Amino acid sequence: MPDSTGSDEFADVNEAVGAEWEDETTPYERVREVISRAYTPVSADAIAETARTSPKTVRKHLNTLADEGFVTTGTGENGATTYRRSSESLVVEQAADILDHVSMDELVARVSEMREQISGFQAEYGVDSPEGLLVDRTNQTLAETAKDHDDLDPEVLQEWQTTRRNLAFANAALSIANAERFVNDESHPSDESVLAQ
Amino acid sequence: MGGNSTTNEGHSLRGPLDRPVLISIRDVFNGDEPLATAELDDYLNPDAVEVTFDDGLCDADTARMDIQWTIQNDYKFHYTDSQSVDFRWGEHPHNGDYINVIGLEHYHPPPNASSDPSDVEDSCITQSPEKLVTRAVLKLWRVAYHTNSLAPLNSGSNPP
Repeated sequence: MPDSTGSDEFADVNEAVGAEWEDETTPYERVREVISRAYTPVSADAIAETARTSPKTVRKHLNTLADEGFVTTGTGENGATTYRRSSESLVVEQAADILDHVSMDELVARVSEMREQISGFQAEYGVDSPEGLLVDRTNQTLAETAKDHDDLDPEVLQEWQTTRRNLAFANAALSIANAERFVNDESHPSDESVLAQ
Repeated sequence: MGGNSTTNEGHSLRGPLDRPVLISIRDVFNGDEPLATAELDDYLNPDAVEVTFDDGLCDADTARMDIQWTIQNDYKFHYTDSQSVDFRWGEHPHNGDYINVIGLEHYHPPPNASSDPSDVEDSCITQSPEKLVTRAVLKLWRVAYHTNSLAPLNSGSNPP
């Protein structure tokens, strides 16, 4: 049975969710949210439209975010500044999230499991990377030697790409945890584990 | 048009799944919809957000939604329930096969989330940020839930 959580009236669902978002966030928060998912360079004008604010405001906040290392700037074909999410900031963010939610024992076990999964793909398909898989299959098709091969399964390609990306985040988490251990130890010289390194 | 495998390849989501986006979508479901419980299928290497609903649309007692989203902003939100009703909002290339769909956003209608090129509709959801797409999905789901009808799911409005 429907409960008391009412469904509001709205003329256009896109405008409705956009207006709600605008009500509950500042322009800075919206610009940060939109640029956080911009993995390829975009213009301030494009961000402004999505973030429901002016290009001038967008540029101001993006420059602040670039100073903080959250955003990487570049130059577009027409000479205008382009913006994208900093890869370093994304990796550090994901590593921190992982360390907050996953125990070291589990993290070590899962990193090893994901590495084996990647090795398994490499052994099975005879190429080093998902990109190699694409090139390999394209060549086979062009040479019409593909008759003994199944068409490339897009799910395999995606699973490989996804696992490689998430292994990178997990490896970063492991490295940060290890680095922190020794940085902390160095500030406590009486700790014997310093000697172990 | 090409064979099945070519079509299948041309219709898949492009690029790796986007972990931070999947986490964000999970949090919207858990924060905004009392009937929904969302989790990642794997916290470290997620393939999907899995949502269970304590009640289904129309005569269904239970329902679930499975969501994927890639770093190239391709996505699908697939609903299925205990009455075997399926439908799906998606955004990904379709080789122009969906003759009624202008852009990439489209809707596979109930009762079986038909992929017949002439059945697939333009999606009423045109927002881009994952949080807003997810909220749009939840709004449309709520209207369908309250009206005991699947018709509002792709209408995009809820008139008084």
